[in-house]
Amino acid sequence: MAKSRKTSKKSKARKTAKPKKKSTKSKARKAPAKAKARQTSPAPMKAMRLTFSYEGDEVKLISQKRTEMMVPPSDPVTGFNKQKGFWAELKNDRDKTLYRHVMHNPTRNDAEVFPETPGQSISREPAPKRKGVFVVVVPDTDKGEEVTLSRSSPDEEGPESGLRALASTPATEIMRFKLKK
Amino acid sequence: MGTSDGQVLGPTKIVDAGPPEKRWNIVIVSEGYRSDELTQFAVDAQQFADALLAAAPFDRLRPAINIYRIDVTSKESGAKDPKKCGGTGAKPRTYFDASFCTNKIRRLLVAKNSRVLKVVDKHVPQWHVAFLSVNSPISGGSGGSVATFSKAPGSVEIAIHEMGHSAFGLADEYEYYSNCAESGHNKHSGSEPSQPNITTNKNRATTKWRSMIQAATPVPTTKNADCAHCDPQPSPVAVGTIGLFEGADYYHCNVYRPEFDCRMRNLHKPFCGVCQQVIVKKLTPFLP
Ligand SMILES: [Zn+2]
Repeated sequence: MAKSRKTSKKSKARKTAKPKKKSTKSKARKAPAKAKARQTSPAPMKAMRLTFSYEGDEVKLISQKRTEMMVPPSDPVTGFNKQKGFWAELKNDRDKTLYRHVMHNPTRNDAEVFPETPGQSISREPAPKRKGVFVVVVPDTDKGEEVTLSRSSPDEEGPESGLRALASTPATEIMRFKLKK
Repeated sequence: MGTSDGQVLGPTKIVDAGPPEKRWNIVIVSEGYRSDELTQFAVDAQQFADALLAAAPFDRLRPAINIYRIDVTSKESGAKDPKKCGGTGAKPRTYFDASFCTNKIRRLLVAKNSRVLKVVDKHVPQWHVAFLSVNSPISGGSGGSVATFSKAPGSVEIAIHEMGHSAFGLADEYEYYSNCAESGHNKHSGSEPSQPNITTNKNRATTKWRSMIQAATPVPTTKNADCAHCDPQPSPVAVGTIGLFEGADYYHCNVYRPEFDCRMRNLHKPFCGVCQQVIVKKLTPFLP
């Protein structure tokens, strides 16, 4: 079980990945029996469903489950190293990003609150003790070796310090683990 | 409490576009429905599916999308409604223990999501998006890997907005955090956001959605004259014009959204052109 870098010595602490300039299309493992079934339809792929839990700053990998399903296309795999936000990357054995999934930070410590009547505004409220689970699905490819999670750190000072929704700094790697083969 | 308070009966495919391993699969799970109320859940889930598939751009992506409902009974109806948030104090025995007043926020409706995911994983292992439909008329909901909504009017709007976050990585396009009277949200000072529908780059030639901005559209398209407040000006361009509109991502200035309005900014509005393009790009491979 992998844990976030802040809280576990078991996780492999490495430098934040610096993506190379060229993108690489990941070659998915095709399901042999069904791949030829319908040529007009996209070929089914193998995917790895990764389930995480979070509480406070801690993020843990709960499970890796291989599934025959299609995965949406990757978000840009280059030019993002100074961006803020939250994303997951699938990497090869040379640390090259094969697939990237940009996410609305699933480890937020606030909540979106919706109006009761149409026309009123959506708003947000701090919810410092939020905890929960989230899921990332990546292609299960021959070349995919590791998965990383990257997240921007929130401000440490000021009236809204600690709110991850308002984090403004470039994201840094918070977790890395090997995919189950 | 919990799984002893009900039973998982199983999935039913209510929108069938093909085999689940080749399509994009949405799952709607029932919470707080007694066994004699599951007929109502079937109606509620179908209404939700119809509303979702009527919303652009999902209306033209129908052949890519399967929708399942998973019938789960609860011993009692509704969700917990704690008095400390002004609720009724009701504590119905339900399968996923859904409760309003999570983190003392009245309308933050959250269930035991790990339990929901276990059920969804087991019955529709190819799922891409999971919703929990809570049998309560009280307004509330929450986002994340399990988007939760009640039966209050407008709940489908909440669910689609949350799906914009959870399935497509879209950012909020509103320009405040809690309201427009707050301080501290004048200028976005951060790095370029990774989300596809907001940007700090106001250069027409290099900004994220540059290919969708017409040559005749001014850039920036709106500028907030007073960064201490939300921008009160009406749109200076026709509805549907894609440009760079100042104010998004919880800040009044120095960050831009693609259209004057969008479902990621206000409920009951359609997704803007850029958000629609993101969704279409993500779902096109699932088309037959
Ligand atoms: Zn939008």
